[in-house]
Amino acid sequence: MDIGTISLVLLFGMLFLLAIGMPLGFASGALAGLVLIMKFGPDLLFGTFGTGPLNILAQRMYGITTNYVLISVPLFILMASLLERSGIARDMYSGLSIWLSRTRGGIAIVTSLMAVVMAAMSGIIGGEVVLLGLIALPQMLRLGYNQNLAIGTICASGSLGTMIPPSIVLIFYGLITETSIHALFKGAFVPGFILAGLYITYILVRTHLNPSLAPLPEPSEEDMNGQEKLLYGTTLLVMMATATAALFLFRIGFLNVFDRITPDTGYVNSKTLWINLSIFAIGMSHMLFYVGPNVVNEAWKRGRGMVSPLLVVFVVLGSIYGGITGITEAAGMGCIAVLILIYFRGEFSVGLVQEALMRTFKSTGTIIWVTFGATALAGAYTIAGGPYFVANLILGADLPTLGILFVMMFIFLFLGAFMDWVGIVLLIMPVFLPIVLKLPLEEIGVFSPLVAHPSFVSIWFGILFCVNMQVSFLSPPFGPAAFYLKSVAPPHISLPDIFAGFLPFIGIQLVVLMLILFFPELTMFFR
Amino acid sequence: MVEHERTGPVDFITWRFSRLAMILPAVIVAIMFYEVILRYVFASPTLWVNEMSLWLGGMVYLLAGLYAMQQRSHIRIFMLYDVVPRSVRKTFDLISVGLLLFFVFLVIWGGTGEAYAKFMRWERFGTAFDPPIPATMKPLVLITLLVVAVQAISNLYYDWHKDPEAPDALDEVDFDIEKIKAEQEKIAELAEQKTLSKKAK
Repeated sequence: MDIGTISLVLLFGMLFLLAIGMPLGFASGALAGLVLIMKFGPDLLFGTFGTGPLNILAQRMYGITTNYVLISVPLFILMASLLERSGIARDMYSGLSIWLSRTRGGIAIVTSLMAVVMAAMSGIIGGEVVLLGLIALPQMLRLGYNQNLAIGTICASGSLGTMIPPSIVLIFYGLITETSIHALFKGAFVPGFILAGLYITYILVRTHLNPSLAPLPEPSEEDMNGQEKLLYGTTLLVMMATATAALFLFRIGFLNVFDRITPDTGYVNSKTLWINLSIFAIGMSHMLFYVGPNVVNEAWKRGRGMVSPLLVVFVVLGSIYGGITGITEAAGMGCIAVLILIYFRGEFSVGLVQEALMRTFKSTGTIIWVTFGATALAGAYTIAGGPYFVANLILGADLPTLGILFVMMFIFLFLGAFMDWVGIVLLIMPVFLPIVLKLPLEEIGVFSPLVAHPSFVSIWFGILFCVNMQVSFLSPPFGPAAFYLKSVAPPHISLPDIFAGFLPFIGIQLVVLMLILFFPELTMFFR
Repeated sequence: MVEHERTGPVDFITWRFSRLAMILPAVIVAIMFYEVILRYVFASPTLWVNEMSLWLGGMVYLLAGLYAMQQRSHIRIFMLYDVVPRSVRKTFDLISVGLLLFFVFLVIWGGTGEAYAKFMRWERFGTAFDPPIPATMKPLVLITLLVVAVQAISNLYYDWHKDPEAPDALDEVDFDIEKIKAEQEKIAELAEQKTLSKKAK
């Protein structure tokens, strides 16, 4: 059978099987078998038991089981699950609230900031939206915040989990397209923060134009005035600087004592030593003699809530970007860091770990078995010449480069409204990315920056895809963020209410999508 | 997390087995921690941790899918399924399970030869630690699929007269919802009392 017919059968078969509610992974697997039968005919496939082209199915599944980076997926899920069971994130919320309670729209900003930090700790979205829905939504509604603003802030910021590294979407994109996940994480940094920054800007602008959207709470004695904020804020910063310097000093001392310095060891020269020594000395004397231990104590009390989350971020992202460990080990270290924090907070119990493992196992199974089916399908379709056929079809249509990209963005957004991101990245990406890689580089972006760095195309496209998926978390009728929020919101807030709150935030996401589409430079800051 | 109830003897076996396999991610975390400590503190990295995690990881992926099957939690779309009458749903379920069996049959038909050969040769990974990953994982892929197929049939049989539980977003998160809600209410009450006492002054 020719590949055109096979592609059509595949497309309609997939639509049919998804419609009848067949699990995505097995539907893909069955269709993979169908593609092979259509391509090779039953005689060749079923000639002898145990061999033949059908072996590609088991081959592809085996390929997934021996993928080292994929181990980071269960480990990141485990870490998120442990975090959800501890009060670490809730403490951060109260910690941040003290500082911003007297600011117009302060609680909404706290919500966004907290979402960013949580996003930098883990790579999935459900937990963030639910937690913010549990603690930030009641507070904002009680203070009389505009309901749409509150809902939109929670869900849009809560979805950042898959945008800001570590991001499970980017891990899967990297696996499927064989792009460096490290490079993807580096590239996603700036776009992720642009997105978060625009959310916060939007909150600030709207609440200042129309203060009735975010009434200020009644002042209370516990509020800090500007002077106190300055004093405690600087003290906290000094504490952090001193601690970092101490860490460096400890490292230098350790490496020297155990004679572990090789020519590759960075930051062990005398310059680093003196800089850190002076920072440490100045910091200590500032705390001891200038502000005094009482102020340090007070400042610690007010900043404490933010320390543990930042510590986790430091461990995970620090291990990845500092080149200490790969992504998989960073996820493992993240689990250890969270466990240690849980232990010191007195929340540790065997039951807690067991529950977290149970959740991890279930979520891992559902995500990775979609991968099994999809990889079998991608393998079968590639043997049948599918991606080549589709690429020729689209490139042959004589569309302008920008037109092709727009069509792809539209397809992502449309599918995203109905399908899980896992399915889209696994099934669509193997077809789309080869097309993008063939597009003329000088026509991508206003200043065509990709010409000088052709290897960045797949990274740029991955981040573009990631922003698309940000939209899909919010887009009706199946935006998962809405359902997460609905499950914990007060009963009078209906699903249409929730989706109505998303509109301005979807607008912001689309703006960022266009920004990245026209200025790929935004993904290329860290090369 | 609320687990799906166990129906029938197949569920009982998968559930028991999953209870054991669940520990594997924790084992991976533990040996990775050990490796990082050895590498950075004692400068004597191990040879076996990377490949051991790879091996265990592969088992986690496979067995987790079996557990997800028993929990009826594989990703699927309920859009049309939810609106059609009971009898049509039964047809849909039959088609689904039939095609699943078709897939499993194809994989086993094509893969058995290689898996058997590698197992008999006890093929190793060809690295320093040299775990028998091909020899064990190739057959395990097929065996797991076979058990998944059995589980699918068991699910079909026991769920024949049951409607699937509506998917609940809260199934995917781990918070102690009631506890947090109670805490939030307490905070709200405190805040209210404060404003009231202030007004009274």
